[in-house]
Amino acid sequence: MRNLFNFILRNSHWLVAILLVAFSFYLVFAHNSYQRSVYLTSANSVTGWFYTTTNNITSFFLLKKNNADLLERNAELEERFHTLRVFLDSLINTDSVVVEAFALDSVGIQHFDFIPAGVVNMSFSGVNNFITLDKGAAHGIKRDMGVISQQGVVGVVASVSPNFSVVIPIINPKFRLSARLRNSENYGSVSWDGSNIRRAQLQDLPKHEVFHEGDTVLTSFSRIFPKNTIIGFVSDTGKSVDDNFNTFNVQLATDFYTLQDVLVINDRFYDEQQTLEETLQQ
Amino acid sequence: MKISYLYEIVLFVLLILLQVLLLNRLSLFGIATPVLYLYFLLKLPIGRNLFYVIISGFLLGLIIDVFLNTPGMNAAATTIVAACRKPLLNLFFEKEEYDEFVPGIYTATGPFIRFTILMVLLHLTLLFFIESFTLFNLPATLLRIAASSVISILLIFAFDSFIFKRKRGEQV
Repeated sequence: MRNLFNFILRNSHWLVAILLVAFSFYLVFAHNSYQRSVYLTSANSVTGWFYTTTNNITSFFLLKKNNADLLERNAELEERFHTLRVFLDSLINTDSVVVEAFALDSVGIQHFDFIPAGVVNMSFSGVNNFITLDKGAAHGIKRDMGVISQQGVVGVVASVSPNFSVVIPIINPKFRLSARLRNSENYGSVSWDGSNIRRAQLQDLPKHEVFHEGDTVLTSFSRIFPKNTIIGFVSDTGKSVDDNFNTFNVQLATDFYTLQDVLVINDRFYDEQQTLEETLQQ
Repeated sequence: MKISYLYEIVLFVLLILLQVLLLNRLSLFGIATPVLYLYFLLKLPIGRNLFYVIISGFLLGLIIDVFLNTPGMNAAATTIVAACRKPLLNLFFEKEEYDEFVPGIYTATGPFIRFTILMVLLHLTLLFFIESFTLFNLPATLLRIAASSVISILLIFAFDSFIFKRKRGEQV
């Protein structure tokens, strides 16, 4: 008996180690779902604050590039504004009959709101990539909202705290999104194989689908993103798992290395659609 | 004695900051990420209480996890490495060394290099396998382990020689 006690006493540090390792593995598995704990991620207010502060410093160095992007965008919009203006003038000057009954509703019903947010932290050194934003529940962000950048799709909000939120980006193996090529109606799904931050894979497109390098990849049926949001551009054919379907490599439109500002999409009719679809299941 | 604990706390915080703010944002060729924070476990005195080693290793990993959104992964790997530290130390260092002896690249070059290589390899192998648990392709994981290990080991040696070159005058 005494020997046994001695044995346990002598090796008790191993016991502690095993307990701690078990606890760590519990964390690994417990948090490997979409419902990640807010407390142990960077949506937590302490780490969130920490990242905001450091990001204030680092974002300074990216200002130049972002400025250039904005100017470019500005120029593009200016140009469109101009062409529309000219078009409108030409319409006014023609002597056509205006059918009053078919007047378009100029106000319309706005389907989507956009909440601008800043990126405070990003991890993309491994495969479990996340982005932390500086806005949260207090600003109207909820789980499962889509996130886009000026260039294209970024990801989906996974967890939210009052002032921060964590986004699962396209470049995370858990992310899946239904997508299609611009010139066709067949849809496949976009996912990421973990190899390259600038490249995702578009899978499950039928073999007969014609494609060209540089074709635009857009979102298709999605509860989260507006239809026809840009995801990226086809770069080449990739390895296919199934003979009946093609896989393409997609050059992502969003440059995650310099991502600074994003827009979170609020679908005003999300709840309505959700309730309607749920009535079917009952 | 007290000074050495204070020094360890500073090192602890410094390594976490370096890892989280700088090193984890590097991704050389998309595969290699330098992991420096293990340096803390390498530099504890040889005869340090085993509970202290294991628990501080666990805390180190956990804090890194909280910042990197990877709950448990670094904590698990670091705790296992901390538990295996003593047997590995016995493998490379003479038993006669006094308890407060701190291994370093200037104090015990050969053993320290071998000890570091083994510890880092063990740590990164665990880390990347836990990370890619169900995952994808084995060759890519092995490549990431190898590349990250090489870069981490070089970084640890550089860091060690950099810190102790300045302090050598006072310490010896």
